[in-house]
Formats: sequence, structure tokens, C-alpha cells
Amino acid sequence: MRQRRLLAACLTTALALTAGCSAASPGATNGNVSLTYLTFETPDLTASFWQSSIAQAEKQVPGLTIKDIVSPNTDRDSYAKQLQASGQFPDLLESITPSTFAPAGLLMPYPQSWVNANFLDPMGNAYKGKVYIPPTNSQIIPMVFYNKKLFAQAGISSTPTTWAQFMADCAKLKAAGITPMELGGSDSFAAAMPLTAVLSTDVLGKDPSWLQQRYAGKVHFTDPNVEAAVAKYRTMVTDGYFEPGALGVSYADSITNFTSGKTAMYMMGSWFLGSIPAAIAANFGSFLTPTDDGSVVVPYAVGGSMAISASTPSPAKATAFAEAWSLNPANLKTLLQGDGAFPLIKGKTIADYGVDPSQVYQDSYNYVLQNNNKVSAIGWVTNDDALPSGLNDDFYAAAQALFNSNDVAGQMAKLDSDWSTATQ
Amino acid sequence: MTTRARPRRGDPALGLIAVVALGLYVLFIIVPVGMSAWKSLTDENPLMAQSHFIGLANYRELLHDSTLASSLSFTLVMAAVVTIVANAAGIGFAILLNKTSLSFRMMRAVAFLPQVLSGVIVGFVWRYIFAEDGILNHLLTALGIISQPVSWLGSPDLAMFSVGLVAAWVLTGFTTVVHLAALQSIPVELYQAATVDGAGRWQQFRWITFRMLAPGTTISVTISLITMLKLYDIIAALTGGGPAFATQSTALYIINLAFTDDRFGYASAVAMLLLAVSAAIALSVTGLLRRREVDL
Repeated sequence: MRQRRLLAACLTTALALTAGCSAASPGATNGNVSLTYLTFETPDLTASFWQSSIAQAEKQVPGLTIKDIVSPNTDRDSYAKQLQASGQFPDLLESITPSTFAPAGLLMPYPQSWVNANFLDPMGNAYKGKVYIPPTNSQIIPMVFYNKKLFAQAGISSTPTTWAQFMADCAKLKAAGITPMELGGSDSFAAAMPLTAVLSTDVLGKDPSWLQQRYAGKVHFTDPNVEAAVAKYRTMVTDGYFEPGALGVSYADSITNFTSGKTAMYMMGSWFLGSIPAAIAANFGSFLTPTDDGSVVVPYAVGGSMAISASTPSPAKATAFAEAWSLNPANLKTLLQGDGAFPLIKGKTIADYGVDPSQVYQDSYNYVLQNNNKVSAIGWVTNDDALPSGLNDDFYAAAQALFNSNDVAGQMAKLDSDWSTATQ
Repeated sequence: MTTRARPRRGDPALGLIAVVALGLYVLFIIVPVGMSAWKSLTDENPLMAQSHFIGLANYRELLHDSTLASSLSFTLVMAAVVTIVANAAGIGFAILLNKTSLSFRMMRAVAFLPQVLSGVIVGFVWRYIFAEDGILNHLLTALGIISQPVSWLGSPDLAMFSVGLVAAWVLTGFTTVVHLAALQSIPVELYQAATVDGAGRWQQFRWITFRMLAPGTTISVTISLITMLKLYDIIAALTGGGPAFATQSTALYIINLAFTDDRFGYASAVAMLLLAVSAAIALSVTGLLRRREVDL
């Protein structure tokens, strides 16, 4: 008898659970819609920032409720993939890489007319002719930041414009007992900054279509011009312009080391501008990675806000929310201050965002505003020039390996092999 | 006085318990392994709606995957070295802590502490210890052992050593407790008889302690090996598999293949390989150590 009761209880529970599952409906009830939004938190993009920015955009879309899903780390792409694999792909996804998800038909493009009407560089991060992320801001990746006092101490009066001058300045700094270049090498993306710099500048600077040609198999990492560019990075290592233990320095520590005056220069994305304390910002300047002939090349990446899932239950409300969020200057203000982002919304100046930028920020932003040779920052752009999915890690690993190894040809051959695997 | 009713053979309640246990085992072990085996025969990509059966293509690719070769060799070397070190240290600590006073009981708890901590926390804590200006470099500098900070996580060789050190530290907590339990089951009379026969401390350890620890050692070594073969969390937090993939374990490689390279099918094939390697090693080592127990 007791067993029958137990069996009955189990069946009842199972039926209740089944009924509960089938009754749960994702999305709309009574005209109201609930959508999920994948975000990520950093010291600047805090939980309260997301809450308030979401609340403001929600107000402009009646009947919409947003549920915030926070990525466990800043690698949104990997987390979005995990969510997709478990059938929980969010309706809105902040700052993901469209080229990873769009080919699978997971993303919905924005109306081109809205993009054209609101942004300075409407196709800056377009993938296959469609815009999946509003191009709200941009970055230069990397710039070379420098400490003015340490430059003066080493007798350097102006920033270098050619590679030869750059190396000469590094030598002067080293001779003065100053470590020329900071590197947060234990975080692989930071370790790869010098490699990103020389490849973007020397290879893409001369042939902006190089990545498209690499996709077509017409050029390779083992080509002499690429290996020559990589050899420049090796020279910086072998000449002792980085700390010998730089691969043990974290990204966070590298920022502290540089801002506290332990090293003279720092190759980093322009988001580093947000990490310079305002009180000492006047002591820092920036320049672009010098080229052999002194020409200006800007390794450039247009970023933006959120992508929209192609399977969202309410495309209209998802789009309305995304558009409202993307055009709110208050949201971009946080990115300007904390992430050193360069705004690209039409009809607005820096003053419209209510920030008081430092001189080094203004000087850096000028490279964006000027008409110059902007090329894709290799490994950072999210447009057609984005690296194949998974190749970024191989690129970073090559940079770390080349810190300890002279085998430029071997590492470039491995990158070619990894490229083939990634694009199979 | 009441006595608990002893389950009878053929009792339906026992059958129900067995069915539930078996059901859970099948649901959470057999089905996922079966699914992984099936996926390993496909080109499944987490972003694509459909996958295709590709036969043994993924397994053929295993033979030419240099990254897999390096991650597997790192994993095997690390498993062997750390298992030996952690178990040797565990036996040593167990002998030192084999006392009954309160202070020794507290020290046992402290020795077990690393095993209780999450691998991610352990990884992050040691990352700070190994930093250029971390505690370890400060300590070694203060003692005059080094003059310049050592980049513990910056060079491939030192990073491998650092991962091994941390893994051994964590596992030693477990091996200490297992060996301590085994030590306490050794009859005191054996030591008394050995003393009467004139055996010294080393001889007592060699002929009594070490041999009588055999059952505990079998468990400890086997579990240590399996833990090391699937090591992921500590490495992910400590080095992220770097520099330049030098500390990428096979488990970490599987995660990267699946969620960075979007290759669920191939990642499943690597996972099946790791399962086979782990099973082969665990069975061989257990068989070998059990034979030692029989010799007692």
C-alpha cells in the first residue's frame, strides 16, 4: 500500500512538472514581452550601469521587460555560444562578434536606413554588407602611449615617426636605465599587442585588403613581408626593450606599472585612455606605431552596442530597445570615460556627452576624426576582416611563443595551418 | 528496545532503490558518454542548426593534431609527476600528523583545506603568489635566494612547474587524509613486535608502514591520477593554458575546441580519447597496485 502511495506521489510530481514545463511560455503575455539581454561587467561597466541604462531604454518601449544575463567574464562570444548550445540564446547580445554568429543565421540585421541616419561610419563594422551591431564608437588598437617625463629624462624631445627613430628612442631609454616598453604578457591578448601593431601597420597599412586576400588563400602569414614585420617584434624582444619576465605580468599590473612610471611606453588599445588617472593624465601622450617611411597608419576597429537574435519572439520591440539604448548619450559617456571609446554618433561632439576629456584623449581622438589611412586592427575588428572563429587564441599564442623563440617562420607556418583548420 | 527491520531478499523497496540509483547512473553518466560518442562521429557546431555524420574523420584528425599531442603529453607528464609527489608528500604528512592530540587534529584539518577549496579560487590565489611582485618572489629575495624577480608564469618551463606545484599542493591534502586513515588501521602490535626484534624506524617504515599502507595508496594514487588527467579549473584560473599553450591540459583543450573553435564534434572525439586514456591508465595502475596488496 505504502509503495502504491509512493508511486502515485512520484507520478503526480512528474505530471505536475511536465504540466509546468509546457505551460511556461517564453516571450509575450497580454501584449507584454520579456526579452533576455546578454551583458558583461567591468570596473567601468558595473551592474548599476547596466541596470540604469536598461531601465532608461525600457521606458521608451512600452510593454517590454528586459532580463539581464551577465556573462561570467568579458568573453561574451564564448558565453553566447554556451547559451546557444543549451538552447538559451539571448534576444539581445552586447558587443559580440557578428562574424561568429551571423553566418549561422543567429542574428538579425538593423534597418540600414536607421544606421545610415545615425552614425558617422555606418558600415564600419558591417559583415557581408549588413550591420548587426550599431557602430556607436571606435578604438585604435593599439596606440603607443608614452610617459613624457621619462622621455625627457632619456633626452627624447619628440615622438618618433619612423620605425628607425622608434628603435633609436628605445635604445636611448634603455641606456638611461629605463625599461622602454611595458607588456602585460600573461594575459594573452595584451601579449599580442606589439604583434597586432606591426602586422596592422606594416602589412595591412600597405595592403588594406590583406585579410580578405588571406581568406581567398592568395597571401599567407609565411609571406616575406609578413615575416619581416613579425621580425620587428622579435627585435624589440632580443634588444631587451621589454622586461625579461613580461610574460608573467598581468594586464592589470601592466597598467599599474606604466601609469606609475616604471616603464616608458605601452602598446595598448585606446581603451587604456580610460585607465589613466585624471590627476596625472598630462604626463602621458600617444602616437601611432611608426612605419618605415613615416606614413601614418591607424589600426582601427569600429565597435558598438548590441546584436539582436534572429529568433527573438518580438523583433520590433527588441530593435526598438536596441536603438534606444544605442543612441542614449549617457550610455556612451560611460564608455568614453572608462573605456576611452571614440564616439561615432552623428551630430554630436564630445561636449554633448558631458565629459571633460584629457589632452591625450583629444590627441588620440584626432586620429579618428582625420582623413588618414585607417586599416583593420588585426584580431580586433568585427567586420569582414575579423579573424576566423577561434584563430584569435592561436594569434595570441604565437605572440607569446615569439617572446621566447626566434622561430618566426615556424610560428607563422603554424598560424597558416590554424587558419586552414578554422576555415574548414 | 526496537530493532530496525532488516531488508529481506526480494524486498520491493530494495528494488526501487536500485532502479533509482541505476536510473541516475544511466542518466548522468552513460547517456552523456553515449551522446559524446555519437557527437564525435559528426561535424556538430554549436552555432549551426544541423550537423552531419562524418564517420571516423574526427578520429583520423586526432592522429595529425600537434596541439592535441602537446596537450596530451603535458597532461600525462603532469599526472605522473604530481601523483608521485602528492602521494609521497601525503605519506610523509600522514606519518607526521598521526597523533591524537587536539593540535594534531587541527593540523589535519589545515592539511585537508586545499582539497576543499574551489580550483578556481586556488588558481587565482596562486596567481597572486606567483606574480612578479608576489609573495613568493618577495620571500625568495628576502632570503637571498634570488636577486631578480622570477617570472613563474611567464616562461613555458616555469609555468609548467608552477602548475605542477599548485596541483600537488591541492592533492596532498587528499592523499594525506587517505594515508592517515590507512595508517590508523595498522595494528600497533606489529610495531611492538618489530621493536622487540630490534627493527629501527626506517625498517619499521619500510617493512610495516609502507606495506600496510598499500590499500590506501591504491585508492589515493588512482584518484590522484584521474584528478590530474581531467585537470581544468586550476589551469584555467592560473595560466589560462599559456604561455603559448605550454600549460594547456587536454581538458582545457577540449573546452577551447568546443566553445572557442565551435567544433563540438571534434571536441567530443578528443574527449572520447581522454576517456579511453584515463580508463586504460586507471585500470592498469589499479591492477598493478592491487597485486601489491595481494602480496601482503
